Amino acid sequence: MSEWLQTYNEFFGMYHAGIITSIFGAFAVTFTVLMSWSKLVKDFGPIGGFMAAALIIGTFWVVNHKLPGFGFSTGLLNDAEGLPMQFSMIHQGNRGSAPWVDMGWAIAMGFILSDVLCAPKGTRGELLKEAFPRWLVIILGGIVGGIFVGLTGYTNAAL
Amino acid sequence: MKKYLSTFAGSAICGGFAFGIWPELWKTYGLMGGWLAATLIIGIMWYMNHYHGAILNPSGKIWLDQGWCIGSAGIAWGIVRFQGDITNFFYAVPTLICCLIGGALAGILVWKIRSCDCTRKIN
Repeated sequence: MSEWLQTYNEFFGMYHAGIITSIFGAFAVTFTVLMSWSKLVKDFGPIGGFMAAALIIGTFWVVNHKLPGFGFSTGLLNDAEGLPMQFSMIHQGNRGSAPWVDMGWAIAMGFILSDVLCAPKGTRGELLKEAFPRWLVIILGGIVGGIFVGLTGYTNAAL
Repeated sequence: MKKYLSTFAGSAICGGFAFGIWPELWKTYGLMGGWLAATLIIGIMWYMNHYHGAILNPSGKIWLDQGWCIGSAGIAWGIVRFQGDITNFFYAVPTLICCLIGGALAGILVWKIRSCDCTRKIN
């Protein structure tokens, strides 16, 4: 078992243990956000939202996304096999060099699932159809924003 | 149409903020920088996108979280910032699938344990 856990899976680009921790990390943050964010807002108003951002996202960021060393460069600490060590629950694939996968995906997916399942059977398809254009716009918006910020990589700035 | 425009702008700003600021604060102040970034970015962006409704979310319909735009911005930023090409996206797919599975499991569990009155909608 421990040997299997420690095996680096070239196809997935992470250790087998990393697959398990990725799923658990995504599960934990999503469950906490779904259960408590709206209640904090109900109890404290907009301040509750700021509290939720700091306490839930801030704290789960530490377990889900912290990396060794400084910055997103994972090359500073290597394990016995020369692979970059990741102390985060959500592993970044391809030896840590894959484009960043954020825990936002998990939270957003959790909202979709809980809302769709909450609706009575028969209305679920309609709900998904209504959400689809908004969904497309929000993902396109994220891609455009990400590309604009990413363009700093072409300015030779040593960030 | 106006609503879609504000959704687009809100999500672009949110995604850009998350990946323009978060890595810099983390690099400068370490773990507490990341924690501070969560407070600043997610706090303010949530206030704009969800409390004041820049992202279109009609009540009684499916909630589209700003997680979608932060997630897609992360992958787009990761490709452009480190001068990769579009095929780098496939490196991110396994982690992405793990994230979506974990989130879906949590969504199903929350649906199971909640009485499902859907009163949690803030709008």
